Amino acid sequence: MHRSPFLSSSLLLLLALLLSLAIGSVFLSPAELWDTIMGRGTEISSSILWKIRLPRTILIALTGAALGGSGATYQGLFRNPLADPFLIGVASGAGLGAVIAMSVQWPYSFWGLLAIPMAAFIAALLTVFIVYSLARVGQTIPTTNLILAGVAFSSFATSLTSFLMIRSTSEVRRALGWLLGGASQSGWTAILAIIPYLVIGLGILVFSGHTLNLLQFGDDQAQQLGLNVTRAKRILLIASSLSTAAAVAFSGIIGFIGLVVPHLMRLWFGPDYRRLLPLSILGGAGALLISDVIARIVLAPQEIPVGIVTSLAGAPFFLWVLRRSKNQGYW
Amino acid sequence: MLRKTLILTLLIALLTACAPQATPTNAPASTEIPTLAPSEETAAVSIRAASTQSANVLTFTDGLGREVKLNEPAQRVVSLAPSNTEILFAIGADSQVVGRDEFSDYPEEAKSIASVGGSFGEYSSEAILALEPDLVLAAEINPPELVKQLEDLGLTVYYLKNPLTLEEMYGNLEIVAQLTGHQDETSALVESLKARVATVDEKVATITDKPVVFYEIDASDASKPYTYGPGTFGDLLITRAGGVNFSVAAGITDPYPQVSLEQVVATNPAMIVLGDSMWGTTPESVQARAGWDVLDAVKNNQIFPFDDNLVSRPGPRLVDGLEQLAKLLHPDLFK
Repeated sequence: MHRSPFLSSSLLLLLALLLSLAIGSVFLSPAELWDTIMGRGTEISSSILWKIRLPRTILIALTGAALGGSGATYQGLFRNPLADPFLIGVASGAGLGAVIAMSVQWPYSFWGLLAIPMAAFIAALLTVFIVYSLARVGQTIPTTNLILAGVAFSSFATSLTSFLMIRSTSEVRRALGWLLGGASQSGWTAILAIIPYLVIGLGILVFSGHTLNLLQFGDDQAQQLGLNVTRAKRILLIASSLSTAAAVAFSGIIGFIGLVVPHLMRLWFGPDYRRLLPLSILGGAGALLISDVIARIVLAPQEIPVGIVTSLAGAPFFLWVLRRSKNQGYW
Repeated sequence: MLRKTLILTLLIALLTACAPQATPTNAPASTEIPTLAPSEETAAVSIRAASTQSANVLTFTDGLGREVKLNEPAQRVVSLAPSNTEILFAIGADSQVVGRDEFSDYPEEAKSIASVGGSFGEYSSEAILALEPDLVLAAEINPPELVKQLEDLGLTVYYLKNPLTLEEMYGNLEIVAQLTGHQDETSALVESLKARVATVDEKVATITDKPVVFYEIDASDASKPYTYGPGTFGDLLITRAGGVNFSVAAGITDPYPQVSLEQVVATNPAMIVLGDSMWGTTPESVQARAGWDVLDAVKNNQIFPFDDNLVSRPGPRLVDGLEQLAKLLHPDLFK
């Protein structure tokens, strides 16, 4: 496995994609699946496969990819093993935006239905901008300041969200479902809406491996090695925030993927960010797909929000891998 | 070119001639519910036959302003809310229900219908699609995104808005009756409901002494319980049953306020109705609460368990709720 990380990760992702298409609350046998793919399936199985499972699978894979990629970026940027995509308040900002939007009765139209994801997306980006402005000292952005400002703003946004949820008790169930994570708006609209941001965001991140490697030496050393540290940080922040905001807008807050997947990849394939970033993207997609499959079948036809599954399943799995790993002190 | 147009026109004419006669072959027998009594069955069949003969498309505008079209009264309905399930059963459409949400538990027969999810607000679109419904009945508890998602899958969805008065509730019953072809039974049902409400109204009109009632929705934190405020059916029914709702007496305007115990003590309600008795709260547990013993209601042991579903589910059982509240508040007048 250590010789060909991209091959094994891609195979795992492919397996996860197939599982996600094959498994759901309605059981379709392999023969039925094959028939449906070949175009000979019944109307029901065709609808299930092409209209429900395929868009959902793609959306989940894209979300997982975004979370994995920005998680790895944040860990590199802040040089902190506890960093995850929601460190500087993207999640709480998005949650606040979504809950504010939920208290309004939007008209039932194309734009009305997009109101909540758009509000979440804009609020997420606004949060990063505010935190960034708060943390800036002259021309530099000290990472400590970023973390502190992010944590403070997160608490503020979270408490406002809770307050709003208590005030409009009729929307609590809906808000809670969103905050726990899950592909509530699975459909091609959602995918088309987030693809541009993911392409830009993840596109930048995939090629930022070298920059992140340099940043591991510390701001001063990286500057002396020729990197424009402030500009690099700004670009990385923008790219990862765009990806995270897009991921969160339609899928809600899904924790743990952004934290654990980069660590797993680091454990298996080493800390070189040139490999780690693309691998985290692939791994994030695969991990979230598998979590979603579990969320769909564990209590069928109930669907647990996928955010619960990632935390419940991810934590023990990660601890197990950590214990088994011989590479102590890899960080 | 002319020949192609002719053939095309003939084909289209043939297809339109076929369409209204298409009766669903997947009849009620495929569900697991007990079959209708013979008289009801013939009534249902005759209503269905009447609609197909007219070949009119039934058009409705639902609670979201959407246009909903049915070729004939729906025969395979999936209900996405407990209130909708109760309505469907009450109007006699129970054999037409093929799917229900996880929380639909009344009447007892509803539990044996296939569930399509619903906890955390997540429904399984696959399960709904697999049931091949010709109508999905959503309620205000379902978000518009879900309606759009099901609409995109090609399903017919009707969004039933929550009623704010009993009259609006009767209106909802009649809408569902038209959707499922049970207009006659529902007119009779609405008449009987109105009669029962009128009886309560008559007797309440003679009452001069209206007790202050504290309806407890939740008191996990006994110093800050939740109650019904103005704008809710709990408030409406307490008032109509000849009582004064605590929130009105205390001047609260929020529909679901969390009030402090101090306010309850200051208003000193004569009666406490436990809407959270289904979660295990008993009159004894209320008496044991710190600070509650100073209330008149606790001293006189005027604490009563109550089925909250009778005031929170916007269906025909609201009238049951009204009658039960009236009985609690004025036991001498209502037996």
